[in-house]
Amino acid sequence: MPRYRPQGAARPGAPDLSRRRFLQAAGLTGLSVGVPSALSSCAIAPAVEAENGASAVTGSFDWRAAEGTTLRLLQTPHPYQKSFQPLLAEFTELTGIELEVDLVPEADYYTKLNIELAGATGAHDVFMLGAYFIWQYGPPGWLEDLGPWIENSAATNAEYDFEDIFQGLRDATKWDFQLGSPIGQGGQWALPWGFENNVVAYNKAYFDRRGIKPADDFENFIQLAVDLTDRSENRYGVAFRGSKSWATIHPGFMTQYSREGAVDYELVDGELQARMNSPEAVDFVRKWVDLAHRAGPVGWTTYTYPDCTNDLGDGTAMMVYDADSATYPKNQPGASAEAGNLGWHPGPAGPDGNYDTNLWTWCLAMNSVSSNKLAAWLFMQWATGKEAMTSAVQQGAFADPVRQSVFDGAFKQTLGGFPGYLESFETVIDSSTIQFTPQSKFFDTTEDWAVAVQDIFGGADAQERLDSLARTNTSKVNL
Amino acid sequence: MTHTLPDNSPPIESRSADPEGPRTRATKPVPQWRRGARPYLLALPALLLTVGILYPFGVGAFYSVLNYGAANPTPDFVGLDNFSSILGDQQFWTSVRVTMMFALLATGVETVLGVGIALLLNRASLVGRIFEKVLIMPLMIAPVIAGVIWSLMYNSQFGVLNYVLGLGNSVDWLSADNALWSVILVDIWIFTPFVAILVLAGLRSLPKEPFEASDVDGAGWWFRLRTLQLPMLWPYILVAVIFRFMDNLKIFDHVYVLTAGGPGLATRTLQIGAYEDSIINLDYSRGSAYMFVLWVIVFITARFLVSALGKAQRRAAGSEG
Repeated sequence: MPRYRPQGAARPGAPDLSRRRFLQAAGLTGLSVGVPSALSSCAIAPAVEAENGASAVTGSFDWRAAEGTTLRLLQTPHPYQKSFQPLLAEFTELTGIELEVDLVPEADYYTKLNIELAGATGAHDVFMLGAYFIWQYGPPGWLEDLGPWIENSAATNAEYDFEDIFQGLRDATKWDFQLGSPIGQGGQWALPWGFENNVVAYNKAYFDRRGIKPADDFENFIQLAVDLTDRSENRYGVAFRGSKSWATIHPGFMTQYSREGAVDYELVDGELQARMNSPEAVDFVRKWVDLAHRAGPVGWTTYTYPDCTNDLGDGTAMMVYDADSATYPKNQPGASAEAGNLGWHPGPAGPDGNYDTNLWTWCLAMNSVSSNKLAAWLFMQWATGKEAMTSAVQQGAFADPVRQSVFDGAFKQTLGGFPGYLESFETVIDSSTIQFTPQSKFFDTTEDWAVAVQDIFGGADAQERLDSLARTNTSKVNL
Repeated sequence: MTHTLPDNSPPIESRSADPEGPRTRATKPVPQWRRGARPYLLALPALLLTVGILYPFGVGAFYSVLNYGAANPTPDFVGLDNFSSILGDQQFWTSVRVTMMFALLATGVETVLGVGIALLLNRASLVGRIFEKVLIMPLMIAPVIAGVIWSLMYNSQFGVLNYVLGLGNSVDWLSADNALWSVILVDIWIFTPFVAILVLAGLRSLPKEPFEASDVDGAGWWFRLRTLQLPMLWPYILVAVIFRFMDNLKIFDHVYVLTAGGPGLATRTLQIGAYEDSIINLDYSRGSAYMFVLWVIVFITARFLVSALGKAQRRAAGSEG
């Protein structure tokens, strides 16, 4: 009598593994193994030990020395980038170098850059970079030291005049990567391109109508913001960043934090000690959070700088404590509902009258594994040179230029319709520097700081939360 | 269980639809090596796929016992230091709590709603047929895009939710108290249709006889649902639960778009924690350890749920009591 065995039935003596069990096991493995696979797919290349390319350039300087090269730039859409976009053809005409620009929105920009640089692919030769990122990208060898390029007369045009760039900005882009060392020494890891002082922009037309003056100290600033707030009219006192990001800490928060006499770290016996829980720091954070509750935007914990500046431009926010260059475009004719109505003020002075201001600078940096280093350098010196920067300023949205000569020349001529802008700039510029202590865990520890501020906003006890933050950050930065 | 052919049936090799009887086709004998290689060739794509999954898994596991990061590109072996550091970190336990709450609540609500919608749509009607088509639309939207859409809807200043509900600008949907519920709501909006469609397919594949018999016996709607439909549907519901629960344990996309894990740690899931460590803080080893812990959680949960599914399938087939 013939018999047949249905598919999937086990042969006598075979292991007890039915098709169903096999599929179950395979599915189970697939479901669960997919988790870490996603992570390790960003496999990391070993330490980058690329040679500096400056010494290979000899002879006399020639703009067309890299003619025929195609250079790839990574940038984020920003007033600086937009101001230069129409000028790129001039660079190609001058040098014979073709440019390919990839734009990535700012929210994803550093994620993209982190992964690309960690992979050491050299996919982009030049990229936009914030100065704080030098502290994280420099130690693994991802950035080309530009010092030798600047000093090499075969590579650098005699008219470049690096010293024309504000001293504070040149210092902000130098560091020796030693724990506890201040900025301003070590390699030159990027070229400053545009920068921002964090001051207060306000709705001057509304202030003038009501006969209000901007506040000169922090207590009055808080009271003024509260008085200006009327939720039923969809109007509130002051916008400042509150999202869960390191970028929440660096503008208005760090500026006023410094003016109130607080610091982030102190060097004690060769180790950094976090001071986010000092009495001045705790007192300041309590006031800052109270200000957010009483006079800030309703969704403060998601607020980034475009939210703040949009609210100012729409007439919803009466003041913004953020980068001057971020609020500047909102006053351009036709750029916002309140264009032409805005004014600028240095913001509240500290108790001793100081105007310490935290500074952000967008720079251009060179990928250390770029295979087009000479072309990259030619682009960088062109973009940060006097002539191109003057043209960018004349486009109308490039504030603030990093060169003293351009600031005093073309930029000042654009400031007629920007009341208080120049005065604010001149008030803070001598005290404007990076107020953070440089350290390679900056983004980790500063994001933790933003999380702590959000927790306090959510009701956590300020002293306890900041004590916990200080303990964690002290251990992290000294690892 | 084996099947036996009836005694009077012709031998398998001689059975044919041709009334004139079987014809023998001369075929070239297949060489032994080809016959031997066939199973391996058939298994090759699955093998490649498995290697493609297991290799990065192994690399991730390897990283988790190193101190590898951007600041330390020449790593050392540190054993279980990353794991002990994570397990001693309050942020990790907050992430575990958030992840479990998210997974349990989202899966629970999606399952109840999905089953309810499937039962409603099972009644043949024009409205039901139209709803079936409309229902699938949220599934066509990538979760990241859904996150962007909902972030605009949740916006306190100009969001449509506050406007439609007449709340002015007073409600912050993404505050520390509300954020977790808001991100769960988005997940429910996207994935309830998935559960509904899966269960609806199951409903339509159920045999009609037991239901006809219950009609004859005059059984009520509730009795029929409780004693017939749900027990028979249970394997389908469990499949939906497995998919949704596994997915929700690994949740990242629309939560990150909406809140980036905040405010504070209010929506910081394990995936977001791993992402922050690996990609933002460039501490690859700690991020890998985070993911490895998540893998253990997912593996144990998957094993439990798949075993429950097997039992449910046997029970529905009547082979287990």
